[in-house]
Amino acid sequence: MNIKKIMHVENLTHFYGNQIGCKGINFDLYKGEILGIVGESGSGKSTLLKCLSGEISPSAGKINISLDQGGVKDFLSLPEQEKRQLMRSMWGIVHQNPRDGLNLRISAGGNIAERLLNVSEKNYSFLRNTGKYWMEKTEMDSDRIDEFPLSFSGGMQQRLQISKILSSNPQIVFMDEPTGGLDVSVQAKILDTIKSIVRDINVTMIIVTHDLAVVRFLTDKLLVMKDGIVVETGLTDRVLDDPQHSYTQLLTSSILQV
Amino acid sequence: MKTGFNFAYLDEATKRMIRRKILKAVCIPGYQCPFGGREMPLAYGWGTGGIQVTASIIGKQDILKVIDQGADDTTNAVSIKNFFKRVCNIMTTDRTAEASLIQTRHRIPETTLNKDQIIVYQVPQPEPLRKLEPKEKETRKLHAYKEYALMHVKLYEEISQFGSVIKTWAYPVETNNRYITDPTPIPKFDNPKMNNMEALQLFGAGREKRIYAIPPYTKVKSLDFDDHPFEIQTWDECCSICGSTKSYLDEIIINNEGKKNFICSDTDFCKSNLEKNK
Ligand SMILES: Nc1ncnc2c1ncn2[C@@H]1O[C@H](COP(=O)(O)OP(=O)(O)OP(=O)(O)O)[C@@H](O)[C@H]1O
Ligand SMILES: [Mg+2]
Ligand SMILES: [Zn+2]
Repeated sequence: MNIKKIMHVENLTHFYGNQIGCKGINFDLYKGEILGIVGESGSGKSTLLKCLSGEISPSAGKINISLDQGGVKDFLSLPEQEKRQLMRSMWGIVHQNPRDGLNLRISAGGNIAERLLNVSEKNYSFLRNTGKYWMEKTEMDSDRIDEFPLSFSGGMQQRLQISKILSSNPQIVFMDEPTGGLDVSVQAKILDTIKSIVRDINVTMIIVTHDLAVVRFLTDKLLVMKDGIVVETGLTDRVLDDPQHSYTQLLTSSILQV
Repeated sequence: MKTGFNFAYLDEATKRMIRRKILKAVCIPGYQCPFGGREMPLAYGWGTGGIQVTASIIGKQDILKVIDQGADDTTNAVSIKNFFKRVCNIMTTDRTAEASLIQTRHRIPETTLNKDQIIVYQVPQPEPLRKLEPKEKETRKLHAYKEYALMHVKLYEEISQFGSVIKTWAYPVETNNRYITDPTPIPKFDNPKMNNMEALQLFGAGREKRIYAIPPYTKVKSLDFDDHPFEIQTWDECCSICGSTKSYLDEIIINNEGKKNFICSDTDFCKSNLEKNK
């Protein structure tokens, strides 16, 4: 098999002053792969994701990325302009709180249009149709395209944020506990939606969660973190069914197996 | 000329500083250059930015025209004209074709400007992105990185809500395929005149202390969508004084019953047109 490597991470380390955020992280991410990051609260999941998505610059380490155009690049030394451009179209972050990823002053359709306008031609019908298409894809009512985000429920806001990010056909999507703030029943439905879409459009994704059911259900590969370091990594099924590290064993035994 | 003032009111060092900024602005069409704006003997909002630009470039040979909403005889236009008469002892005119320098608020004259003329716009708010992004630090980045999606989102929202873009004045333009620029509160009717204009266009914002420029023969494009192209205002009526069908018309109410009349907003154009048709 010749699947393209799109991210190579080496010794990635971040300290908040003396406080360790994450340390010595190594992994490769291949096109179409869904990588899960699990671990207890404070284990460094969000710190790692923020380093990967350019939100914070790590204290040490290397991230090589391989874009569809332009070959392999050293992500950490990209100029700010290129990083921003990447985030606005080719990469996307789905925030835990949808309000961090949506512009509340513009309509649902406007939010999706904003992302598309970073890459597309200036054509109103195209923006309109693509907006509706993605709302339906995330199981929203596309008749509500002109409503503002605050008129939607939390779950719908999250669906809108996902529509917005996916509409530009991104190469990598980063999600940090995308259903964290929602009711359990709503969580399950949104995860269903995410699952069906990611398989459908073959997106590459890194998702942070502390929910092992989500991990089993969604991811191909897993990083298990504790105290800022990766204690175990491997194919999701292998890690969950045959955990090697004592912490992973503890983690997997603490949930009901489905 | 009133003694006790330097020519054109500002001291020479200040004028030189402003001219340097103007040159920079001309080199980077549509880019807002910060400048060390001076206090002028009138309040912000009355054209202090435009006056400083005019004062820095005006010469003894210049013939100045000042308009406010297209009219030469409004209070604001007259007092700016009188100010320059006092501090420069120069000639002024109402005739667009005779003027070498035109300071304007809210209109571009109907008469096509030529390469020997300069038009100075008074600018209340130089930043076209301000309403969409309140933080100056961020708007500077948006300009620097040419991240203008928000601007089109604004148009998208208007089309979605009202069926078409309803913004009729201060309609944003893209200058020289690069910077999004606020054309000042002129009606969008005037936007096409900015494109490829032979005259140099200078913009002065007093309160915000910004100068920007559009050099002669520069491409100026009003933002739009392929399938919702930019359009200017049109009227079913013609000017009730001169009969013009090509000029920007102001609507005026002429009696207590609310009867409406339309007249040219450009008073000089209206007069000349009337004479020509006699
Ligand atoms: N801005 C910060 N300043 C200082 N320390 C921080 C900061 N952000 C996180 N930390 C610390 O870094 C460590 C890793 O935090 P991080 O937020 O990455 O964990 P997490 O795995 O995402 O936890 P959670 O599951 O609660 O979201 C923790 O000890 C945390 O207290
Ligand atoms: Mg976290
Ligand atoms: Zn007329």
